[in-house]
Amino acid sequence: DGLKQCLSEFKQQLAWVERLDVTSGQVVDPVSQSASDKDAVDPENDFQREMSFYRQAQAAVLEALPRLRKLQVPTRRPDDYFAEMAKSDQQMQKIRQKLKSKQEAMERSEKAKQLRAMRKYGKKVQTEILQRRQKEKKNMLNAVKKYQKGLSDKLDFLDEEQTSSQGNKKGSANQRIKKGPNAKRRYKNQKFGFGGKKKGSKWNTKESFNDVSSFRSKVAHNKGPGKAGKGGKKALNKRPGKRARQKMKSRAR
Amino acid sequence: GKWKNKERVLIFSSRGINFRTRHLMQDLRTLMPHSKADTKMDRKDQLFVINEVCEMKNCNKCIFFEAKKKQDLYMWLSNTPQGPSAKFLVQNVHTLAELKMTGNCLRGSRPLLSFDPTFDKEPHYALLKELFIQIFSTPQYHPKSQPFVDHVFTFTITDERIWFRNYQIIEEDASLVEIGPRFVLNLIKIFQGSFGGPTLYENPHYRSPNMHRRLIRLSVAAKFREKQQVKEVQKIKKKGSKVLIEEDPTEVVFETPAEEKPVEIQLVKPESKPIVKDKKKPRKIQRKKQKKLFRTE
Repeated sequence: DGLKQCLSEFKQQLAWVERLDVTSGQVVDPVSQSASDKDAVDPENDFQREMSFYRQAQAAVLEALPRLRKLQVPTRRPDDYFAEMAKSDQQMQKIRQKLKSKQEAMERSEKAKQLRAMRKYGKKVQTEILQRRQKEKKNMLNAVKKYQKGLSDKLDFLDEEQTSSQGNKKGSANQRIKKGPNAKRRYKNQKFGFGGKKKGSKWNTKESFNDVSSFRSKVAHNKGPGKAGKGGKKALNKRPGKRARQKMKSRAR
Repeated sequence: GKWKNKERVLIFSSRGINFRTRHLMQDLRTLMPHSKADTKMDRKDQLFVINEVCEMKNCNKCIFFEAKKKQDLYMWLSNTPQGPSAKFLVQNVHTLAELKMTGNCLRGSRPLLSFDPTFDKEPHYALLKELFIQIFSTPQYHPKSQPFVDHVFTFTITDERIWFRNYQIIEEDASLVEIGPRFVLNLIKIFQGSFGGPTLYENPHYRSPNMHRRLIRLSVAAKFREKQQVKEVQKIKKKGSKVLIEEDPTEVVFETPAEEKPVEIQLVKPESKPIVKDKKKPRKIQRKKQKKLFRTE
């Protein structure tokens, strides 16, 4: 082959130290995928390509430096050796400035992000605290109202005892306090809270109309035994009708 | 020690190069202390004149940059008296001055040359490898060189091209930083003589930049032509779909043309009609309002 002939004519037989050439594959990277086959490097993938060049250079360096050391060719520049560099100091300054500015920009953006995150978190915490305070206030007021209504004679809420079991209230011996308000009133309190929902509390809805649980047949027809066993049936429960009441009123005037 | 290996490389260019090429040339001159510079060569001279120029400067190697059409850059690497030469198309040039390349090296320090194992597999690549070694390696004990080895040139073959990179060796454990410059060489031909002679090898994968540009233009033109053709076909289809109906003689039977009126020429202007305001008809503004309501409904 003409090429081979030419090559053989052209080739110089120099000592390696003159040429310093190394032919090597790449440094095997534990992270690299596949069998690090050279053909797998996609030339369009810039990062992969540059990494392959880098690894090749690394392999060459790792191979050559020991040889050079053996041949006593210095590879490390001593710190007091000052000589002209390929790039001027001005150039290096520019490079350093650019790197610094890039880093600063990154840091600034990181700080801004963190600040934003912290503000969000802070706001969340704030709202939680406010809600908790409102809840506590509400509980306190309820406890105070209960005491005012006479349901509980204990002033436990002042000690900020959160765990007040409801059963303790009923344990007191006094009947009057035990019953407290009327059964009807108690029912309404239970349903709507203390001093609570006024509007819409008396509605003739289908459910309330069909709810006959509070119907006592003996009471309605005045049939059952009186409460005290005496003849005072009418007195407590039977309220005269509207006409009778009006007559009473006009008669009283 | 004594400087024995007398290699001298002449680096110069033709006229019509742009700033990037000029900087690349300067960078190569700084990196290679065994190089010599020369003035720009006129393009009307033929290439074998370069051999004479080299002889005058006492150089035995040459790197010649040639710019064509102010767009394409070609590089010749040659061993001047009689040896082989090669022509490349240079692409993707990045110079030393780019701020992304942060490494630095001593001016004139000797480089380590690193080659791809693919260089040993083909005879033309082996020849190129020898050429690169002889040109790019700084001779030992060269008066302008520094004795340290602190940077490495890599030549890699990827995608049928030769990629050149220059790295600075920072640590002994082979941590590297790129210094630059960097470029990509696309081999065109290898000649037996210097800047001439019989062709030893021609790269089958090489496509000249003119061809490349032409292909792009052709593809664009082909797209346009295709669109036009499609349009024309559509036109024909539209025309052709009309079925020709025969004339029906029975159609005309019932036609009775109207009586001809005598032509009356008006010589006097007709009386103008009195303008009567129609109170029933809503005024313009009100009509507009009605329209608006109607629209919003």
